[in-house]
Order: sequence, then C-alpha cells, then structure tokens
Amino acid sequence: MGESADVSAVAVPAMPEAAERHDLLSWLTTTDHKRIGILYLLTSLAYFGVSGILSLMMRTQLARPNNTFLDAHQYAQLFTLHGTAMIFLFVAPFAFGLANFLIPLQIGAADMAFPRLNATSYWLFLFGGLVVFLGAATNEGAAASGWTAYPPLSEIRVSTGLGQDLWIVGVFLVSVATIVTSINFVTTVFIFRAPGMTMWRIPIFTWEMVATSLLVFMAFPSLAATLLLLFVDRHMGGHAFDPAYGGSPVLWDHLFWFFGHPEVYVMILPYFGVISEIVPVFSRKPIFGYTGLVLAAFAIAGLSMGVWAHHMFTTGVVNNPFFAFVSFLIAVPTGVKFFNWIATMWRGSISFETPMLFAIGFLLNFLIGGITGVMLASPPIDYQAHDSYFVVAHFHYVLGGGSLFAIFAALFFWWPKMFGVKLDETLGKWCFGLLFVGFNVTFLPMHFMGVMGMPRRVFTYDAGGPLPTLNLIATFGSYIMFAGVALYVVNAIVSARTRIPVGSDPWSANSLEWWTSSPPPEHNFESLPPIRSERPVYDARVARA
Amino acid sequence: MASNWLMFLAVAACVGVIVLGLILFPLVRWRRRKGDAEPPQFANNYPLEIAWTVIPLVMVGGLFVATYRAEARVDAVSDHPAAIVAVEAYRWGWTFAYRGGPTVGGASNGPASLGVAQGMPELVLPLGETTRIELWAADVDHGFWIPDFLFKRDAIPGQTTAFDLSPTKLGTFEGRCSAFCGLQHESMLFRVRVVTPGAFVAWEKART
Repeated sequence: MGESADVSAVAVPAMPEAAERHDLLSWLTTTDHKRIGILYLLTSLAYFGVSGILSLMMRTQLARPNNTFLDAHQYAQLFTLHGTAMIFLFVAPFAFGLANFLIPLQIGAADMAFPRLNATSYWLFLFGGLVVFLGAATNEGAAASGWTAYPPLSEIRVSTGLGQDLWIVGVFLVSVATIVTSINFVTTVFIFRAPGMTMWRIPIFTWEMVATSLLVFMAFPSLAATLLLLFVDRHMGGHAFDPAYGGSPVLWDHLFWFFGHPEVYVMILPYFGVISEIVPVFSRKPIFGYTGLVLAAFAIAGLSMGVWAHHMFTTGVVNNPFFAFVSFLIAVPTGVKFFNWIATMWRGSISFETPMLFAIGFLLNFLIGGITGVMLASPPIDYQAHDSYFVVAHFHYVLGGGSLFAIFAALFFWWPKMFGVKLDETLGKWCFGLLFVGFNVTFLPMHFMGVMGMPRRVFTYDAGGPLPTLNLIATFGSYIMFAGVALYVVNAIVSARTRIPVGSDPWSANSLEWWTSSPPPEHNFESLPPIRSERPVYDARVARA
Repeated sequence: MASNWLMFLAVAACVGVIVLGLILFPLVRWRRRKGDAEPPQFANNYPLEIAWTVIPLVMVGGLFVATYRAEARVDAVSDHPAAIVAVEAYRWGWTFAYRGGPTVGGASNGPASLGVAQGMPELVLPLGETTRIELWAADVDHGFWIPDFLFKRDAIPGQTTAFDLSPTKLGTFEGRCSAFCGLQHESMLFRVRVVTPGAFVAWEKART
C-alpha cells in the first residue's frame, strides 16, 4: 500500500475497531460486505457443483437411446432441480456475491448501506436453496414439474408430493433475498460514493448492478406473488390456475414470464459488467464508449420488461408480432455492447492471462447465443424450436457459454483481491481450454437435435437416425467440462497451499478496488486517490510515473 | 416457413462471421509484444457509435417485416376448411374427432412402445387441402408438434386454439407432445398420415 503516500490522497477517517477475527463464529455473524460477498460466492459455487453433477447424471442417461440409468421420475426431479439451482441459486446469486464484495470497493465506501439487511439476504438465500433440495428427502421426492412449474402440472391433484411445496417455499425465500439485496445495492451506489465519485465515474460493473437491481424490483415481486398464488391453489382452495373454476393456466404463463424474462437479464447484465471490467485491463486501454455501455444496459433492462410473451408464441393467445418486435429490438443495445468491447481491444496491447481468455470465450459463445436468440424471436421459427433442444442449446449458450464463462473470468480476476493469492496461470489456461472445448462439444449438437424434433425434458429417446450419435457427443462434452471445473477446484486448493502473495494491484487495473490491499482491511480503505475519471487507479499510476 | 428459417440462417451466418472476424482480428493484430509502449488511450468515436446503433436497428426492422409476413401465412385460418378435427391431448394420448366423421385416437402405451406403430393414434389429413385443427387439453398443458411440418401449438386446459394444416407431401410423419406433461411425456406420440383427397373421403366413410 505504499502507493497512497505520494499522491494527494484523501484520508479516510480512522475507524475504531477491534482486531479482525477469523473464527467460525465471526463468519456466521458477519455483516462485513466482503465476507458476505465471499459467503455468497462460495455458497453459489457449491450449488453450482451439485447442480452440475445432476446435469452429468442426465447426460449419462441420454448417452444412449432407451437407456435405463435413470427412470422417468428421477430424471424429472433432476432437470427440475438442475434448472432451479442454476438459475435461482447459482448464476444470479454469484453476481450478487460479486456485487456485495465489489460495489463498496469500486465506489470507495466502507460497507453496504444496510449491513445487517445484507446478512439477512445471504441467510435467506442459503436456506431457501436448502429447502428446495430438502424435497429430495421426502417420500415422493423433489419437485418434478420443471423450473417453470407450469400448472395444472404443478397443482396438487397432479403433483401430490411435498417436494413441490418445498420448491415453492424455497424459491419464495430466494426471491425475497434477491429483492432485499437489490435494495441494498441501489441505496449503496446512490448514497455511499466517495468524494469525486460521480455517477458518470462509477465502474461499468457497478452500473450494470444498478440496472440489474431495478429489474429485480420490477420482476421479482411478480414471481413471489405467483408462487403464493400456486400455494393458495394447492392448499387453501384457490383456483387461480384451474380452468374448471374460471382460473387459467395461461395466467401463470404471463405472471411467471413477466418475472422470467427480466430474470434472464438479471443473470446476464452483471456479467456484461464483468467483461467490461476485464477487457480494458488486458488491452491496456480505457473502456470504449462508457456512456453507450451504460445507456445500452438501461435500454436492455427497459426492453426486457416488454418481451415476456415470446415464451408464449405457441400458446396462440398472445400478440406475437408485438412481442417479436420488442424481442428483436433487444439485439440492438446488446450489439452496441459487443462493438464497444471490440473497440476497447482495437489498437490495444492485448495479453492473454486466464481472466482475458475466459472473457474472449464469453464473447465467442455469447455471439452464438445472441444470434440464436434473434432467430427464436421470430414466431415462425419458434413454432419449430420452442420446447425443443434448440431452445436448450440457445439458453445454455447464453447462461453457460455467456454467464458461466464470465463467472470464471471474474473468479480468476478478483481471486487475488479476495484472498490475497493468485490462482495458478498454467492450471487456469488448461481449465479454460477444457471448459471451452467441453462446452461447445456439449451444446453445439443440441441445436441440430432440436431442429430434428427432439423435445426438451425427455428422459429417453428412440434408436435410429442421427440422435444417438449427437447425444453421445454431447455427453462426452459434458465430461470434458467436468474435468475443467475439477481443475479449477484443484487450482483453488493449490493456490491456498502455496500462498504466493500478490500486491494490491496484480493486473495493473483501473478501478478503486485495486487501490487497497489484497485482501482489503475490514474498513476497506486506508486512503483514497483523487477521483477524477472512471479510472482513478490508472490516473494515480500515471501521476506517479 | 422453411424459407423464413433459411433467411434467418443466412442473416445469422453473415452477422456471425463478420462479428467473429471483428473479435479475432484485434486479438491477433494487437497481441502484446515485448517492449510495447502504452497504446493510444482513445475511448469514444460518436459517429461510429451512432452507426453501430442505427445499422442494426434497420436490420432488425427488416427481419421484423419478413417475420411478420411469414407468420401471417402460417397463422392464416381458412373460412372453408376441407375438414375440421377437434384434437384433445391428455395424459398420455390423443383423440382426433373429425366433424361429421369418425373419432379416432388412443395412447401409444408407455415407454416400452417408443416408436412402435401398433396402437399409435393416427391423424389422417387430405393432401393439398386445408384441415382446421381445434386443439385443447383435458388435464395439464401439452404441445401438439409435428417436426416435419416445422410447427407446434400448445394444448392448454380451458381454452381452444384453432390453426390450419395444409400438407403438401404424401406420407406418414411423426407427431409428439412438446410440453413436459408428466412421466410418460416422451412416449406421447402420434402419427400423421397424409393421403390423397379421394383416399381421405374413403377413409372417413369406412371409419364412420
């Protein structure tokens, strides 16, 4: 931290505090945003591990036609838990963990606005997830109606088991946690910025989290209310989704997807932020088109509130052209972001450390996911692709090839800041290689399976035709991905053992979190550099040189 | 509908290849070399930024017009269909009730019968004529999907949805449920047999 002495640093008033404790009780009772952030990250990674193993079991079942590794009921529980865990317990909460750790550091604050509310949201998230998985221990097993839980399939006369109820309660708890933590993010960014940190100087990741949080405010109350309606239907004599009493299954489709499509952007906007942080650092250039990136984030967030019924093109009861048009429009701000990242690399000095490799992997995979997204926005194409493996391929290219690759980029990029040690670069590059190859081998063939007529959520398929070969290739790819993830775990353990310390700024990065020590002290900053642009740490480096 | 697929695939391939090139080119051209000085620190170019907003806007406008026309063709419902079939989807089978004609259908009997023709419910359609399908579900959501026709429609309890099928090829085609509906979802199959109009009339008479 010697770098703070020679620039005109703004001293932060010293805080009275006891020596930092590291015992278990201090972690259980913590309200420190960095620790809550790390708890969020590790918990979401644990859910990712479990959910990933579920997907390997599914791919094993599908490796051969008419396979008997799993039966239909086991398979239905697996795809329900896999989808629920990846969406509600991994991709979104990982972003919240990252935001918890990073937002106060990026804006020069000492903590989140509401530290105890912050702890509350973490514990709600942890136990909400456990409640969902608890269903597997009940007599009739876990919920088995898919992560979308369409009634009447999820109504009590069809899904009689307790697992469906635990699913409702668990996801409800997670949705409350999500709303609460988003309130915290927005308040912190609006109120707690350091002197000089105007809104137009906050890092793009923090901007993306503001847009994400506003989306959460609009979308998640709809989810919570819908889950309650289903619970009332199941146990209190309600008929919201029961056509025999004037209810409508289509009502669920509307309410669920009014949440569900903005949720897609809740799971991708934070990772657009991650990419926007990493690409400039490894190109040695400022982010290109800062204002355009921020405006594009809000354009995406706004438009995403008006596209939910593109999940309902095949119901025959929505205005398909309207929802097709708005869905097409989202491609424009998303394209703007792509061009901004390319322009950031343009005429740069690009190096290929592991975070940058994962960021490039993100660009390549998300390009495919984005293009198939535009195709699916066309109703006549959706008439074939809907509910088929084409859609499975599409959203895995967005959330697996996109978000997951950004998650690994973030892990490798901010790991030194969180734990004070760097992950091994050689192991990291192998991890990237295995994940990139494995991912594409798994999911590229699924486009073809879907167009050939393989529906999603089937536990087996018929021999004959190209489907068995394509499925075998996909299963093979999923094992390669597993090896990549395992290598990451090895890397984390090795780095913890060797403990090669890193300085405050191992990547020559730009934003404020790289000003303080790694890991940062409990109160975050001993001092702050002058904040005159969105790159205060770069400015300080130049001033020193 | 196939033409809409092909057009989108062509546009997708063009955009994909161009953007792929734009991603890969700087990675090669401006990879870091020993002794690199700090690169130019430019961060804006407003004409360029406006261009890459407006050009995609025009492109998606074009895609929308094309898709709107294609959908209008696909979703058009004739006032004078040659036949009207009420289709009921249930766990786990299909009933095809021809107006003024026979009611046929059944279940394809569980996972063991995957792909087995016996007992498979059969929807018979006249070649080159329009058949209106009035679709609904008896219990939970299902999906009526004929992959070779590039078409599906959801079957939902409590509401009926109507669409036209106008097959242009003789033969038998596989149909199946597309929306997860419970444990025998994957075996909820049916068969579509397209016959000449004369054979269709004869079939209706024989079964009524």
